[in-house]
Amino acid sequence: MEKAHKPKKVFVHGPISPDFVAKSIASHQSKTGIGAHAIFLGQIRADQKEGGAVTGIDYTAYEEMAEQAFHDIREAAFAKFELTCMHIYHSLGLVPTGEISLFVFVSSPHRRAAFEASEYIVEEIKANVPIFGKELVGEGGHVWKENS
Amino acid sequence: MDYQIAMSFQVKYFGMLAEIAGLPDEVWNAAGQLTVGQFRAQILDKYPAMRDKKFKIAVNQKILDDFVLIETPAEIALLPPFAGG
Repeated sequence: MEKAHKPKKVFVHGPISPDFVAKSIASHQSKTGIGAHAIFLGQIRADQKEGGAVTGIDYTAYEEMAEQAFHDIREAAFAKFELTCMHIYHSLGLVPTGEISLFVFVSSPHRRAAFEASEYIVEEIKANVPIFGKELVGEGGHVWKENS
Repeated sequence: MDYQIAMSFQVKYFGMLAEIAGLPDEVWNAAGQLTVGQFRAQILDKYPAMRDKKFKIAVNQKILDDFVLIETPAEIALLPPFAGG
C-alpha cells in the first residue's frame, strides 16, 4: 500500500530565507534513517534585458491548481524514488535578484534517490505548475518570464 | 444540435493575459454550449492582443484540448507560459 501524503502548503510570501533552509535541515537530525539530503535552491538571476537588468521577479499563480499540481508531483516522486521525506517551497510576490524563490528538499537513506528525485521534482515544477513570473527590468519596465 | 442553452461561467486571467484583459476575472456569457476551441475564438475576438500570445485553457483546473465541450459549472483559466522555479 502506498502511503497517502496529505497536501502541504507550498507557497510562501516573498523570498525564502537562508535561515529557513538551515532550520529545515536541522529539523531532520532526529530522522536517523536518512543518509542523504538533496537540496535545490532556485535563485533570481540578474539577466540583461532590453530595458536593463532584471531586479527581481514578481510571482503569481493559479493557486488552487498549483497546489494540486505540487501535490501530484509529490505523490509521483514518492512512488518513483525511495524517499524518507520531501519538502517543496515556492515564493509568491516579489523576490529580488540574488534571493531564493524555490526550495526543494528531499531526503533518502541513499544518495542516488535523493539526487534523482530533486532533479525530477524541479523539472516537473517548471513544466507543470501554473506559476507566472513578471521580471522587473531596469526602472519600471517588465517582461514576462517563460520557462524553456 | 436542435436547441441552444445559454451558458455562463467564470473566466480567470493570469500573468500577461490579465494585463491584456485589464482585469483578473470576469463572467463569460455564451449563447450556447461551447467547445474549448470555440471559447478560445471568442476570447481572441474580444481581446485581439491575445492572438500572438501562447496560452493554455484550463477548465476546472484541467488543461483541455480544443475539441472538448465545456460543461458548467465551470471555472475557466487562461494560463500563459509557466515560469516557476
